[in-house]
Amino acid sequence: MALRLINNALRRQLAAQLPHNAQVGSVASVHTLDKIGKREIVGFGWNGTACYADRADYPMPAVRFREPTNEINALRAKEQGDWKKLSPQEIKALYRASFCQTIAEVQAPTGEWKMHLGIGLIFTAAAIWVAVLMNLFVYDELPVTFDEEHQKAQLKRIIDLEINPVTGVTSHWDYENKKWKN
Amino acid sequence: MLRITAGKVASAMRGSLGVTSTRVIAVRQHGTEESAEAFDSRYEKYFARDGIDGWEIRKGMNDLLGMDLVPSPKVIESGLRACRRVNDIALAIRWLEGCKDKCGDQKATIYPYLLEKISPTLKELGVPTIEEIGYDKPELALKSVYDI
Repeated sequence: MALRLINNALRRQLAAQLPHNAQVGSVASVHTLDKIGKREIVGFGWNGTACYADRADYPMPAVRFREPTNEINALRAKEQGDWKKLSPQEIKALYRASFCQTIAEVQAPTGEWKMHLGIGLIFTAAAIWVAVLMNLFVYDELPVTFDEEHQKAQLKRIIDLEINPVTGVTSHWDYENKKWKN
Repeated sequence: MLRITAGKVASAMRGSLGVTSTRVIAVRQHGTEESAEAFDSRYEKYFARDGIDGWEIRKGMNDLLGMDLVPSPKVIESGLRACRRVNDIALAIRWLEGCKDKCGDQKATIYPYLLEKISPTLKELGVPTIEEIGYDKPELALKSVYDI
């Protein structure tokens, strides 16, 4: 009995989630045509959907950038005539009505590399801080055998034992004259 | 398509770049090879077609600018006249920007050549060059969506 109730509740919830008015073949309208508002569709774009992006590899998008307004329509009417009569400001206004950024603006450097370099250096500095503090406060003292006198004594013992006499350390020691070969 | 194997531009480029030839390879159409001239005239005719509309112009331009070549001056002019016929000067400027961008790292040598060849048409139609209108440098800045 309880299971049947839960089943019905689930079914009702699922039905509520189905898209209303789902027509066959209207996927494009669900995705893009509703989102472009009053913008004029002017081309294929790069994949046939009515969307806008500034891309250097597909310079002509599928829709104009701005929705038509009275000023833009007035300029469009003027555009039908001689283009020499358009002032540079009007040409720019017409361009910005159709496009968001120029190709130069798309390709302009952003300076983002500075942020990446800065963050990298901050972490490097933190690592160096950690290393210094570890050496100062955490690590024990080096054993006494690391000082100059002990190292010399160890080297003398290596030479006396003739360690690696063919190609190693003692191959550079001249045993007759008791000094290093040159 | 820009095939520069002879002529003063080639020798000038040889002198300045030390490159022996800067030929752009002819387009292969699924097995049959088309010459550069045939390719150029095909796209010239495409843009020059009577009654072409903005949709087809943009499709042709996007296709051309997606290919590995710099559109030849004749094709650029044909595209500009097509923009004139559909009364869209913004598209004409965008077309010029796209063609300039296709010059890649050879802008300094190819772009002046293109401008020289198409400037009569530009003057006739009243289309400003990218430099004249100030769009060779960024004009406006757009805030990144990640910083909003």
